[in-house]
Amino acid sequence: MSGAVTDTVDRITSRRDPRFEVTLYAYVGVEGAHTLDAYLERGGYDAARRALAMEPGEVVDLVKASGLRGRGGAGFPAGVKWSFMPPPDGRDRYVVCNADESEPGSCKDRYLMEDDPHQLIEGMMIAGHAIQATTGVIYVRGEYHHAYERLRAAMEEARARGILGRGVLGTDVDFDLILHRGAGAYICGEETALMNSFEGLRANPRLKPPFPAQAGVYGRPTTINNVTTLASVVHVVAKGADWFAAMGTDDSKGIHHAQVSGAVARPGVFEVPLGITYREIIHDLAGGPVGPAKAFIPGGTSCPLLPFDDAHLDLPMEYAAMANAGTMMGTGGVIVIPQDQCIVDAMYNVVRFYAHESCGKCTPCREGVATWLPKMYQKLLAGLGTPEDVDLIEDMVKNLRGTAFCPLADAAAWPVQKSLELFRDEYEYLAHHGTPMYPAKDRWSA
Amino acid sequence: MKIHVNDVPLDVAPGTSVIDAVFAAGYDVPYFCSQEYMSPIGACRMCLARVGAPRKDRATGEWILDEATGDAKIFWFPNPMATCTTQVMEGMVVDTLSKEVKRAQNGMVEFTLVNHPLDCPTCDKGGACELQDRAYEYGTGESRFVFDKRHQEKHHALSEAITLDRERCIHCKRCVRYFEEVPGDEVLDFIERGGHTYIGTLEDGLPSPFSGNITDICPVGALLDSTSRFRGRNWEYHHTDTTSLDDPSGAALRIDARTGRIERIKAGLNDEVNKTWIDDGTRFGHEYADHADRITLPMVRKDGRLEPVAWSEAMRVVRDKLGGVDGTKVGVAIRADATLEEGVAAQALAAHLGTGRLDHAPRPAASVLPGGAPATLRDVATSDGLLVLGDPTHEAAIVDLRIKDALKGVPPADLLPHGVPIADLRLTERMPRKTEILTVVAPYRTDLMKHAGRTVTPPAGGEGALLRALLALAHARTEAQGASDPGKAADAALAGWDDAVGMSAADAAALLDALAAAEAPVLIWGGFVSADPDADAAARALATAVGAKTLILGPMANAAGLERIGVLPSHERYAYDPASSEVRAWILGDLDPAQDPTVAKRFADLDALIVHAAFENATTALADVVLPAVTGYEKEGSTLNAEGRLLPVRAAPVEAGAATDFTGVVKAYGEAAGERLEGRSVRSARRVLKKRLDVDLAELPDDGRLLPPAPAAARGARALPARRAATGSALVVPSLVRIEHLDRNPTLLREHGGPTLRMHPSDAHAHGLTRGEVVTVPVGGIPRRLVVAPDDGVPEGTWLVPTLPDQPVGLHPLDLDALRRERGETAEVA
Ligand SMILES: Cc1cc2nc3c(=O)[nH]c(=O)nc-3n(C[C@H](O)[C@H](O)[C@H](O)COP(=O)(O)O)c2cc1C
Ligand code: SF4
Ligand code: FES
Repeated sequence: MSGAVTDTVDRITSRRDPRFEVTLYAYVGVEGAHTLDAYLERGGYDAARRALAMEPGEVVDLVKASGLRGRGGAGFPAGVKWSFMPPPDGRDRYVVCNADESEPGSCKDRYLMEDDPHQLIEGMMIAGHAIQATTGVIYVRGEYHHAYERLRAAMEEARARGILGRGVLGTDVDFDLILHRGAGAYICGEETALMNSFEGLRANPRLKPPFPAQAGVYGRPTTINNVTTLASVVHVVAKGADWFAAMGTDDSKGIHHAQVSGAVARPGVFEVPLGITYREIIHDLAGGPVGPAKAFIPGGTSCPLLPFDDAHLDLPMEYAAMANAGTMMGTGGVIVIPQDQCIVDAMYNVVRFYAHESCGKCTPCREGVATWLPKMYQKLLAGLGTPEDVDLIEDMVKNLRGTAFCPLADAAAWPVQKSLELFRDEYEYLAHHGTPMYPAKDRWSA
Repeated sequence: MKIHVNDVPLDVAPGTSVIDAVFAAGYDVPYFCSQEYMSPIGACRMCLARVGAPRKDRATGEWILDEATGDAKIFWFPNPMATCTTQVMEGMVVDTLSKEVKRAQNGMVEFTLVNHPLDCPTCDKGGACELQDRAYEYGTGESRFVFDKRHQEKHHALSEAITLDRERCIHCKRCVRYFEEVPGDEVLDFIERGGHTYIGTLEDGLPSPFSGNITDICPVGALLDSTSRFRGRNWEYHHTDTTSLDDPSGAALRIDARTGRIERIKAGLNDEVNKTWIDDGTRFGHEYADHADRITLPMVRKDGRLEPVAWSEAMRVVRDKLGGVDGTKVGVAIRADATLEEGVAAQALAAHLGTGRLDHAPRPAASVLPGGAPATLRDVATSDGLLVLGDPTHEAAIVDLRIKDALKGVPPADLLPHGVPIADLRLTERMPRKTEILTVVAPYRTDLMKHAGRTVTPPAGGEGALLRALLALAHARTEAQGASDPGKAADAALAGWDDAVGMSAADAAALLDALAAAEAPVLIWGGFVSADPDADAAARALATAVGAKTLILGPMANAAGLERIGVLPSHERYAYDPASSEVRAWILGDLDPAQDPTVAKRFADLDALIVHAAFENATTALADVVLPAVTGYEKEGSTLNAEGRLLPVRAAPVEAGAATDFTGVVKAYGEAAGERLEGRSVRSARRVLKKRLDVDLAELPDDGRLLPPAPAAARGARALPARRAATGSALVVPSLVRIEHLDRNPTLLREHGGPTLRMHPSDAHAHGLTRGEVVTVPVGGIPRRLVVAPDDGVPEGTWLVPTLPDQPVGLHPLDLDALRRERGETAEVA
């Protein structure tokens, strides 16, 4: 069952491959699929039973072998992260689910939680067993009220049937969950800010090291994973590491979710094997752009945009390929930007978001991202800008790159930098003429 | 670890932060958020540098070599690193000089200034501002930010004593971290987020006795001491580095004075004592020194009225008056915060007059000099088992902070070439505290109890009984270890335990276990124990039994020093007693015993009453001669703190007319009497002290010098016969705010509220007293004007009153029947 796949010839990298089948999202959108009865009926918690019968270390090895990488954005190998946990010392340890999904363009976690909450609970049980934590925390984005309600109901069902609590599923393993709602801050998705927020402190990221495995929630060893990462574990256990690793590329194995939005015919969330090309995602799955497009964001707004051209559309959805292209695969939130969308206006929308969400802890982010950068965009868009202002933006984002405390400032600066690289003409046109090359549309009033 | 900073090779200890390595190498890196003695957090991003390190080949374990040079290849980190939060690594290379670093620094100065107002010309920090300096050195000198800056409140009173200018704040978080990390009082935090982030409190100000330190560490002019706001520019201040005479901690101070007036007091640096912290009583309690009714000239009573005269004339009167009195009937007493030099002067004067009635006051019933193994403040900070009897927060505030150091379990850092580490990576925000190592015993709920794993509340005056019980139990347990059935014998030892001492048998056993298990236990006690010779004896015996070092907190700054050099009566019968009918003449330094009407009555028919005082009071009102005294800020001299450290006291340039210290009194007296008395000047007193203590006090370094404990024999000769413990239902408690000066310290008075009468709410109810009501009630004979403050941390039947120099800590009779309400008068209760 375990053991890494060595044969890379026959990997599934397209949704058109007949061997591909939707698993994590199989019951998303299915009426009534969220109840415990429905979940049990389709074999729910069997994977947990199987995992609980294994030694914790075996589960960690299995996940390592699957090649599963974190789906929260950074793509850190999940099994490796789990193996960082120190040996148990009899005191509390935590597994935390990062369900704060707030990156613009991302919405994969939401539907998983709303329509298949038990899948996540099962994933957390397995992870909890693997790292020998008896308490799980689901930190759910405050605005995700429906997901919160569904998770809460699912946890109650699970407790009532002995699936959560003391001696879960009839074993001698204890595991229970705490469900915690955020209060509307993007920074709470950053893992250490999330822990602060959960503890009732100000949501500022913490210094690393110590990493969560050394000192996380309440200073205790903690593993934190994204919703999709944890849900994937269920299927890695159920179907084997080989099954998972057979999909995707050498660098990026398994399944992911392309969340397509922007100017496409059929926006939506599509479960895909990694290695699938953006062309297949945008054209085949999302029905293609509704008009001429000039760029696309490959993984949520913190990922720099790519030109909408053949060379880039043919790139695989993969951590390495995106890094090589000077961007990131991120959360897989693909945003298509139409030709007639003023890029300055589009980037202002991105900048405005990060400006609003900056936590204020460090100087470059607070003064650069949250204060100065949006003012520069406002100046340009108001027709008051000069070509020197464009240079200033460029210079400022250089000063922001890699200098802030956490990646949030980069999330604003990098896309701006890339937009200047690709569409400097639009910035300059606006600076010279006082009016944009592509007049703004009433995006705000919608 | 071998590293390179620019071109300088350096060997540093593992765990050192890169910023400290840079400073150790003699280079500079700008920084705002790091702060000595606090956790590095990497928030200001000003300390960026380029950092690289060699790597080992995973397979071979060998360093990867640079093919061109054959040396270990340096892999540079892709981004500039915050040097404060980066640890040194073997072979690390740090670059603080390249164009890339310069660019990052320019950028960060520019960001920092985006929202910082350009009001330096009217800012109290101007000229001493870290941001000003750094912007000058590391900025481009130009601003490209053309928009409106953030507008926020510019005069926000965080408390009565501290004003916050929210526009100036650069969000370094030093102040927020300080409260959590140092005193452990979380009273300040950031509010809002992003560019809107500002510093704020809950509605009740800054309820911490150590709040003022944030005005020292704020790198800009955002947090300012309200006593000095808009009173001077930094370059106009005359700085005096001295030692606090406010309590026996011996905290280092920097007094900033201008045109003959103290404008503010800041904490000085003494790594062994107060680090860089002082308490609010010490910091804000200086306004009295400048009060208009200071006595600035000698005065002599003529026709019933005090008339100003010259020193020489005043001293002729003194000489003549004393000349008519039998020398043995003259009493000389100085306050226990007098310097050692003043002590010598008092001794010389008493010797000259031929009286054994010499003393310092207040002086508790038991000695304040530790016996066996004295504990230093460093011992306290590194202890793993602390038993505290008393209220150190109010008795010697720095001891409170050093106890909190111990709770972190991080021993003091070694000093680096540039001093205290700027970024000690062992310290982190919200460190777990080892509260289990701390036991606090006090007859009411004290501030320190919040931080203690175990608290014990004996009845007021019950310390002796508790300590004796603990001592007996400790002995019984030691014996039980030798018994045939140790378990049973140990149980038997517990059997006779009486919970009425304030703790259960199980708790007592656990406490003794903890002290026995500790590697470096320390026993600390203060006035409640020292007030009772039996309690003191039991405490000393218990320390010996558990192998603990001891730290005793005396009633005032130099009580230990004055006892040590023997400013004491020749016989305990001659101990300072202003009500004594045997004394015919008194020479009093800074004491006001006539607040007690019985004493006042007695004083009315003395042959001579000579008072050295800074302000008129009940005693000067009766005096024949009043001599102007300097305050503790205006003296030259030395003091001995509770741990036995000799510390320098220096005079700030304050306009105080003809006022002198006690050596000045003795000098003038000697001149009138035609005698050159020892102690007629600081220099002459130091000659005497050099012989006695084998220390040249003129050469005392700023951070002082530990004085070896007195040899046992010498102590024996001077051993004080124990006085009896007092009784009564008023418990006079230590106060970090000096009540005798409070009326003349308007800022502190507003911040702290008036002196309080604290009692259990049920007692308040039973006597029909309401919170905030002002009453006058005789406590130990002295009518005390107090603000009623019901407090459920006070046990029923006990009434707490803050101490005065003339009303020492301990039990005193309380005459509730004579309680008088000051009609219609109420006051805020802090
Ligand atoms: C500013 C910021 C926001 C983030 N937001 C999220 C988020 O909403 N959801 C998430 O899963 N991870 C988010 N992350 C990533 C997490 O810090 C962390 O890497 C992730 O939760 C780890 O889980 P994974 O290894 O399963 O991906 C964010 C990171 C940053 C820097
Ligand atoms: S008020 Fe001063 S110390 Fe506090 S965060 Fe602002 S600049 Fe720093
Ligand atoms: S980031 Fe502020 S000193 Fe290093």
